Amino acid sequence: MAAAAAAVGIEMLEALAIVLAVGAARRFSDALLGAVAAILGVVLLCLGLGPALLADADLHFLRVLIGCLLLLFGLEWLRKGVLRMAGQRRRSSSYEEFVEERDELLAADEIIDGPDWAARLVAFKGVFLEGLEVGLIVLALGGAPGKLTPALVGTGIALVLVTGIGLVLHEPLRRLPETQLKLGVGIALTAFGTFFAAEGLRVEWPFGDVALLYLATIYAALAWLAIRRMSATRKPTAAVPA
Amino acid sequence: MLKSLRKLVLGETWAVPAGVAASLGAVIAVRAVLPPDLWSRAGGFVLVGCVVATLALSLRLRR
Repeated sequence: MAAAAAAVGIEMLEALAIVLAVGAARRFSDALLGAVAAILGVVLLCLGLGPALLADADLHFLRVLIGCLLLLFGLEWLRKGVLRMAGQRRRSSSYEEFVEERDELLAADEIIDGPDWAARLVAFKGVFLEGLEVGLIVLALGGAPGKLTPALVGTGIALVLVTGIGLVLHEPLRRLPETQLKLGVGIALTAFGTFFAAEGLRVEWPFGDVALLYLATIYAALAWLAIRRMSATRKPTAAVPA
Repeated sequence: MLKSLRKLVLGETWAVPAGVAASLGAVIAVRAVLPPDLWSRAGGFVLVGCVVATLALSLRLRR
């Protein structure tokens, strides 16, 4: 549940930054319209494809599939997190993304009186892509037997928290330790991915579900070692985007 | 849009998806040669080793 809440919350924060940027630079009504259309699209896609993909699938095959999907997400977040913490990549900041997106939109065409399709499209694209990632993470974490309810509860908690942040606008975006959060989520998703993929291949982890804790500890220790080592041999590469 | 979708699922580098695919292939191969009892107890740590190697490779290549 905590892994789902953290992963989904971070994706939602990025979507929120885009919607706020479009709203601040153009019109909030157009930004919200694009965002709502994107959310509907993602929900329909997940409701249509999710059960069809998961129905009648072999349990072991499903665990391997879910494990590999989580490993893809987790390792990518872990890789970026280590590079960011080692100073070899720009730190993650939804606030900076908000400012960049807003400035780009302000520099674009003038706002017209009628429907602002450019603004709607930017909001739609941003929210749809982030929402698709949310959908994939929820399907992956909730697809394992008995895990759907915790994944959905975690998603609900993330939704409430991010909506709360959205209501008090962009100041809290600046204060969140996003780089550390993303590294933590990368560690959690990689641990879950390893656990499920191995169970699908009929591995019995010593101490059962406790394996998730020691797997996360192993990956956290390795990430810390990699950060230390890369920080020591740091080159100035600040221009690499987040 | 398609480029963004590819980046979303596979990430920014080829090292991670290739490493995950290679890890899966490697553990399936190891599973085929190990006795079932040994595999069920130690197979998970073979996968951990492959995942760590994938992470190390992706950090080294960075593209």
